[in-house]
Amino acid sequence: MKLFLEIITPTKVVLSEEVDELTIPTAEGEISVLPNHVNLLTKITPGEMIIRKGNKSDLFAVTGGFLEISNNKVSLLADYAIHADDIEIAKVEEAKERAQKAMKEKLTEDDFRVANAELAKSLLQLKVARKRKVRV
Amino acid sequence: MATLLTLKRRIKTASNVSKTTKAMQMIAASKLKKAQEAAESSKPYVEKLDFLSKAIEQKIDKDNLNPYMTAKNDIKTKLFIVISPDKGLCGGMVTNLIREILRLTNNEKAYYITVGKKAEKLVASLNKEIVASFPFGTTLPPFKTVFPITKIIDEYFLGNKVSQVLIISTKFNSVFSQEPFSNTILPVKLEENLGQNNSKTLFEPDVNLLLPDLLQHYLEMVIYQSFLDSFASEQASRMIAMKNATDNALDIIEELRLEYNKTRQEKITNELLDIGGSSQVAYE
Repeated sequence: MKLFLEIITPTKVVLSEEVDELTIPTAEGEISVLPNHVNLLTKITPGEMIIRKGNKSDLFAVTGGFLEISNNKVSLLADYAIHADDIEIAKVEEAKERAQKAMKEKLTEDDFRVANAELAKSLLQLKVARKRKVRV
Repeated sequence: MATLLTLKRRIKTASNVSKTTKAMQMIAASKLKKAQEAAESSKPYVEKLDFLSKAIEQKIDKDNLNPYMTAKNDIKTKLFIVISPDKGLCGGMVTNLIREILRLTNNEKAYYITVGKKAEKLVASLNKEIVASFPFGTTLPPFKTVFPITKIIDEYFLGNKVSQVLIISTKFNSVFSQEPFSNTILPVKLEENLGQNNSKTLFEPDVNLLLPDLLQHYLEMVIYQSFLDSFASEQASRMIAMKNATDNALDIIEELRLEYNKTRQEKITNELLDIGGSSQVAYE
């Protein structure tokens, strides 16, 4: 028995395949999902997600969204999700600096929120990417 | 018969027009690619979110509904969100949209939020109350354009000023097919039977904390999807319209060129005849 996992973001379907285990941060703390998990609907928080397939595990960075588990089908609706291997450190560093610079300037409330979210996203990606390096 | 000079001028005009329309066609084509990608890639997300919101509703207490889901029967006023392009020259898109707006509009009091100049002009000419009006812009709309709209919706819907919130926009089916559509986004409809099994579902945190977040997000995404659809439709129909215009202009140029050549030939023949005639006279 396996879990069928779908990761969907507003820009694309990031992943759609069978996995053995999923570990993900939620509003109530980090949870691990194994096959035959009880049906669940929860809110996820920004952080790192680990997907295990056999002995192989993949690391993802995810920002907020929703997680639904229904009869071994897991749907993850995330604002943003990226595989650790796909994170381009140089690009993320650049985005981080841009966001920091934007926040120093006088901004409207909305622009500040956007810059803040951008900063949080890049910091998270950097964290996950670094962790990935250590593991390899 | 048109003189050579006027024919020449008309050819020049037609070729200028064809250059402009060709350029517009190419701009629209390049924008379309991005727009189409954005509109199509967010579809699975919105569909899943839609399914999730509706599935969750079945599992909650019917007496304790979220304000977004409560139907208000005592108020008749509606709030329309109309999404149109800023600019014309995009085939039948704006006309079709206007027809849809007129179909849904009646004499009852209604509020409008317009996005795009074309919608604003039309609603203003109908003497309806425009609550807010936003420009649509000529590039892919960023997500933050949604926030001021949801803020107004919250104010009107949760403030019991309107009973329904509808969105009127253009649906992007394919490059060759776009159709106007309208959709009631609030109150969120309860669907009685989705064919879901009634197995128990756990909510973390509490369902009453989760649902507002989910519905809020759902609302934002539905509106944003309409934006993307409208933008992709605009570019697609402009591209097709401009392609037709370019083809027509080229046809006209061809016809005029033929007429020009004929006229010129005729003139030369006449001149030759004149010369021939006059030299005959001189010889005799």
